[in-house]
Amino acid sequence: MTRPPKPTKWLVVLLLLHGIVAAAGFFAPYDPIEQDRERPYFPPMRIHLIDAHGHLHLRPFFYPLRLREGSFDRYEEDTATTIQLRFLASGARYRLLGVVPARLHLFGTAGSRIYLLGSDAYGRDQLSRILYGGQVSLLAGLLGAGVTLLLGALIGVAAGYFGGWRDELLMRLAELFLALPWLYLLFALRAFLPLAVSPLEAFLLVVVVIGMVGWARPARLVRGVVLSAKERDFVRAARGFGASNLYLLQRHILPETASVVLTQAAILVPQFVLAEMTLSFLGLGVPEPTSSWGNLLATLQQYNVLVSYWWMYLPALAIVPFFLGYLSLASALQERASPYKIEEKTNWNLS
Amino acid sequence: MQPLLKVENLVKHYGAGRSARSKDKLAALDGVSLSVLPKTTTALVGESGSGKSTLALCIACLEHPTSGSISFEGIDLASLDENQLRLLRPQIQLVFQDPASSLNPRWTALEIVSEPFFVQRRYSKPDRAVRALRLLDRVAISRKMAARSACELSGGQKQRLAIARALALEPKLIILDEALSALDCSVQAQISNLLLELQASLGLTYLFITHDFGMAAHLADQIAVMDRGRVVESGSAENVLYSPNHEATRALLAATPRFSEPPAELVHA
Amino acid sequence: MRYLIRRTLHAVFLLLGVSLLTFLFSALTPGNYFDEMRLNPQISPETVAALRAQYQLDRPLPVRYARWLNAAVHGQLGFSFAYNSPVAPLLWIRARNTLFLTVTATLLAWLLALPLGVWSAARFGRLPDRVISWTTASLLVIPDLVLALGLLILAVRTGWFPTGGLLSVGFDELSALQKLGDLARHMALPVVALVLATLPMLVRHVRASVAEVLDAPFLRAALGHGIPYPKLLYRYALRAAANPLLSLFGFSIGTLLSGSLLVEVVMSWPGLGPLLLESILARDLYVVIGGVLLSMIFLVGGNLFADFLLYWADPRIRTAASAK
Repeated sequence: MTRPPKPTKWLVVLLLLHGIVAAAGFFAPYDPIEQDRERPYFPPMRIHLIDAHGHLHLRPFFYPLRLREGSFDRYEEDTATTIQLRFLASGARYRLLGVVPARLHLFGTAGSRIYLLGSDAYGRDQLSRILYGGQVSLLAGLLGAGVTLLLGALIGVAAGYFGGWRDELLMRLAELFLALPWLYLLFALRAFLPLAVSPLEAFLLVVVVIGMVGWARPARLVRGVVLSAKERDFVRAARGFGASNLYLLQRHILPETASVVLTQAAILVPQFVLAEMTLSFLGLGVPEPTSSWGNLLATLQQYNVLVSYWWMYLPALAIVPFFLGYLSLASALQERASPYKIEEKTNWNLS
Repeated sequence: MQPLLKVENLVKHYGAGRSARSKDKLAALDGVSLSVLPKTTTALVGESGSGKSTLALCIACLEHPTSGSISFEGIDLASLDENQLRLLRPQIQLVFQDPASSLNPRWTALEIVSEPFFVQRRYSKPDRAVRALRLLDRVAISRKMAARSACELSGGQKQRLAIARALALEPKLIILDEALSALDCSVQAQISNLLLELQASLGLTYLFITHDFGMAAHLADQIAVMDRGRVVESGSAENVLYSPNHEATRALLAATPRFSEPPAELVHA
Repeated sequence: MRYLIRRTLHAVFLLLGVSLLTFLFSALTPGNYFDEMRLNPQISPETVAALRAQYQLDRPLPVRYARWLNAAVHGQLGFSFAYNSPVAPLLWIRARNTLFLTVTATLLAWLLALPLGVWSAARFGRLPDRVISWTTASLLVIPDLVLALGLLILAVRTGWFPTGGLLSVGFDELSALQKLGDLARHMALPVVALVLATLPMLVRHVRASVAEVLDAPFLRAALGHGIPYPKLLYRYALRAAANPLLSLFGFSIGTLLSGSLLVEVVMSWPGLGPLLLESILARDLYVVIGGVLLSMIFLVGGNLFADFLLYWADPRIRTAASAK
């Protein structure tokens, strides 16, 4: 019996997590921008199996909420009526993965809406907003990491393979970018771009901005691998029977950089998801009504929300399992690449 | 006889960029002259650091010499552009010291031997496989081994594979840069015999680079001795071995173990 | 000595590059303060043009950069349009507040990280080490935004700490001791957030470098000679493990101005962070440049400081540098 290698294990965990977010339409009971002005700031509701009279129900159910007497924003359960939860119920229309039209949801209710994670100022379902918001944040992180790695790998290969003044120039530039703190760079780049834009434009802007920021570290790492790979004798041998630069890069040198690029991807994706969160949290990213993990948190900047509606903090916790998955994957990959080296100096914080 | 390879007054400096000061410059080759006759074996003997490997890289057009000339079959290599060079490169092949590094560990033996065909776009696809297998046969690597990746082969098998790859483009000159040094004695003997056999049947010319006079004596017709970036002595193998003129040659010869004269203590014991 | 000169030149080069980069970023920003003014019907185009000329926004870029650099070297960082005051004093007050916070947090983090890391390394693989490793690992997967917001919620729900600002209303009427207490209470939350954000990384590095040294033959020999274990740990092992830690310390110093940006914004601490964000949103050009430049000076200075420390602490660097 052999245990599956660690990177594979974490990859499976991550695939599951991403799967849930990708299929947000199915897991979310409602449309994320559907408002219910009657039910602002509902607290998370409980699912029961035993009712107020002590009877056991076979189907899970919940009680609708009503305003507590003498309060304008405190609710209590109205035990007069029970509403049953339905599994695999038909509900709001959505497009699975943005393509397949569907109406099937993991669960739903007939009649009153259920807010498992509470509702926001407009009575929108937090759970649905978190799941859909994850699509925006994760996609921004993945695309941003893609742009960064592409840029970093191109620059790293150019510097390492062609060497000379090009190498000198590119690496000095990389040092410059490494010296600048991330958040400042993000700010500066974001400041360079227009402030008021549509959600889609804002999303693309965020992707481009975070993609431009992080290229320096992967570039330096790729350059190092290319430098050592190009001095390997099998590369010399191939040149010796007349191989062109393009051939050498494609067949011998780029495959060598794969493990570094993969490890960097596992490090960069969560960092960039966090970057999107930070930008949107500060109001520089994806605007309402589209939800993202960052702009869901922005309401916490209002003092009354902070004081009264603690469930508005729940979107912050959504990123934690993703962080855990990615960082564990990264260290497992690093361990596999160089099992005897003590953990590499990586600064997870955005500062 | 017209020499196959003629090296004249070759100089190679390292670290000679514009930024480096003159004292940082390192002369790896300091005016080397050498000629190699076709279908012979010339051994280039010297200590490590004497510039042998640099010379090998310059001749194989993998390094640009700082000055001097290399001519192959009467063609000055420096006068060729990259495209002309690509056509000439198959004629000169290099076998490296460490087969673990000279074969891409991710590739299979068969892929490695057929790589030169692929690069030079020679032969049709099925033809390439047939020729590659034939080459592997030549160096006694079985069909079963052909599908294995390079890192699964033994040191001797790897070096035979490297030789097979060097033969693929039917070269005239093969440079063996310490090609036997990393191997066990028995494997060394096996491969040097293979080299002699290949030379006899294919009419190859070898430039055999080594620090080991024993090996040179076994294989070479001509011997050139290198010391600190220069060829200090050259001539027929017998002449260099039995009447060395230069200090460096004598030092190297003295360092070579011999069995012909057993130590006095052993004889009397 | 050549090592130090080389490092200093390198630092100067970095600073110049950074200043040029930030200047370019801000100068190429499409909307500037005057564009927004131009949209205001109450301000005549002539006034805007006059203002533009006064701030020399109509000059070509290289000229503006050269003038700005010359002024910056003399401590003049330009003028804030939004605050209608010179940038330098504005930045200075905010930087002081930030330093207040970060110096405390950095000291605290290092004072905690050193004993924790050494302890963890000394008990490598045993219970204390496992507890510490597990704790740092779980702190590492909580991003600082999440951490800061969580602490803020906690503070609000418990009412233990004030949730923003530097001082209470009526601060001036308090006695000296009360003043100190008030400041400490206001600082507690952001300091805890900063310490928790940096601590895991520091502890892990201390642990890794000390554990590596503890394995070295010379320390085993010292143990064989009968040197007491605590002395061995703190006097010998920590010293031998100092090199990577000194670099890290330099990095800590370097991020004093830039590392707390997010925490400051979240906890509404009147430091450099909120000012910078505000200025970006208002397109207040010179405040952004000045703020970024100031942080960069710290960052580059911190790294340079680490280089000097290394040079002073490690004889190998000195000999290697002079041999070259």
